[in-house]
Amino acid sequence: MSKSEKITQKLQAMLPEDDVCRDESYQGGVVFSARVPLGKLRDAIKEFDEAGYYLESIAALDFQDTFELVYHLNCYEPRARIAIRVPCGHDQSPATVSDIFPSALWQEREVRDFFGIQFTDSPDMRPLLLPEDADYYPLKKTFGMVHAYHKRDEIYG
Amino acid sequence: MAEQFQEPIVEQIYTLNLGPQHPSTHGVLRVLLDLDGEFIVKADPIIGYGHRGHEKMAENRTYKQFMPNTSRMDYLSGLLFNHGFVLAVEKFAGLEVPERAKYIRVICSELNRISSHLLWFGTYIMDLGGFTPFLYCFDDRENILDILDRVTGSRLTYSYCRFGGVTRDIDAEFISMTRAFIDRLRSRWTDYHNLVTKNVIFIHRTRDVGVITPELARQFGVVGPNLRACGIPFDVRKSEPYELYDRFDFEIPTGTKGDALDRYNVRLQEMEQSCRIIEQALDQLPEGSHINEVVPFKVRPPKGEIYFAFESARGLTAYYLVSDGSPYPYRCHIRVPSFGNLQVLTEVFRGTLVADAISILGSIDVVIPEIDR
Repeated sequence: MSKSEKITQKLQAMLPEDDVCRDESYQGGVVFSARVPLGKLRDAIKEFDEAGYYLESIAALDFQDTFELVYHLNCYEPRARIAIRVPCGHDQSPATVSDIFPSALWQEREVRDFFGIQFTDSPDMRPLLLPEDADYYPLKKTFGMVHAYHKRDEIYG
Repeated sequence: MAEQFQEPIVEQIYTLNLGPQHPSTHGVLRVLLDLDGEFIVKADPIIGYGHRGHEKMAENRTYKQFMPNTSRMDYLSGLLFNHGFVLAVEKFAGLEVPERAKYIRVICSELNRISSHLLWFGTYIMDLGGFTPFLYCFDDRENILDILDRVTGSRLTYSYCRFGGVTRDIDAEFISMTRAFIDRLRSRWTDYHNLVTKNVIFIHRTRDVGVITPELARQFGVVGPNLRACGIPFDVRKSEPYELYDRFDFEIPTGTKGDALDRYNVRLQEMEQSCRIIEQALDQLPEGSHINEVVPFKVRPPKGEIYFAFESARGLTAYYLVSDGSPYPYRCHIRVPSFGNLQVLTEVFRGTLVADAISILGSIDVVIPEIDR
């Protein structure tokens, strides 16, 4: 059994059926995506670490009603990328995963720079790409020129 | 020497600022080094000097208007980034591309990959103190720039691809120039190996220096030649074949130990593999149109998202696009390979000598503006 099948079985056992989605066509670039609540994020990421995955990217999306963090994880097998989607309210703080994947540290710092999302228990939350005294969050839709600011369901609904 | 490293007494530590204008930092990277004598105790890379906010710019531009930005992130393999962006949008919006355009893109992308590796090769040896190979590399690289200049009109920040094809068709002279270049480059391998690979000083500066184990590579998300040097044959061109890469016969060179010498060897062999791909593409090149003329002026991908990964000269790169159905991307996140490749240095630098740090940094092949975006 390939690594991606193993990990998807574990995630399916962990999460309600509506929150997981398998896409064999690979049209969106991921074979499997799962909606994980904030509280279960660290457990899910730990499963990936044990399965031999690596953390490819952390991207944040800004919607009118919520932030969404998208973790893309991949392993050294063909077409094995999995996306973990974590809804995170504008006033919530997700837990850091930098102790599980050290590569998360800089990516979390980048997300904090651009969106102002604070990761709890992170060993280092200094600005990474922005100046030390930056008091703005440039990728928020409330900053600068913006073409659209949607609710999450308007795009994914 | 690294095995002589011992945990230092705190009073003896002093801090050295490597960069941001140091010639070996390639761009503007600053590394705060805590030193105990000649040994590095702690390394803290400080980045962001070249931050331009490409991701925010993307949200304010149509997909087409963002295209010139893509080649300005990793300026050494600009065409590869440009190619990847075009592929991502084409897949997202479901646009048709003529066969000939696909072949032209592969040929130009691989030429760009060779030029990027050649520049790395020259500057790496220069970091280690050898000046002559640098001139050899730039001589060869100049050939590629001339070839690409003929079709793209620029030497560094190419914006050659279009949604549905490429701007200009290639002609017979381009093909003969490319074939002549490949023959010339192959005749040069002997010179390179005699000058550098067999050089005993070079071997002592790189062997067993800056070892990245497969486990360390996984933890830090190291990709590209740096990952392949530790023995994992992972290449997006093979694992998720895009464009036409499943039609060509090429190998993934790998190393065994993951030290600087392995990374050097992997990149050198990759250039040869790129030559093979170009030759096959030139042989198979079909007649026809170089661009799909019916692509709409403003591309409007459907609502939803796409994560498109491709192999740039430094490894797995990806565009993560979210669309709300308008001509402007709602979000454009770019996963860059050097991000993980540089971050691993915080771990690798520990316990090495300052002189080795320059060798390791060079062998990783980072492009800082790509990290800063």
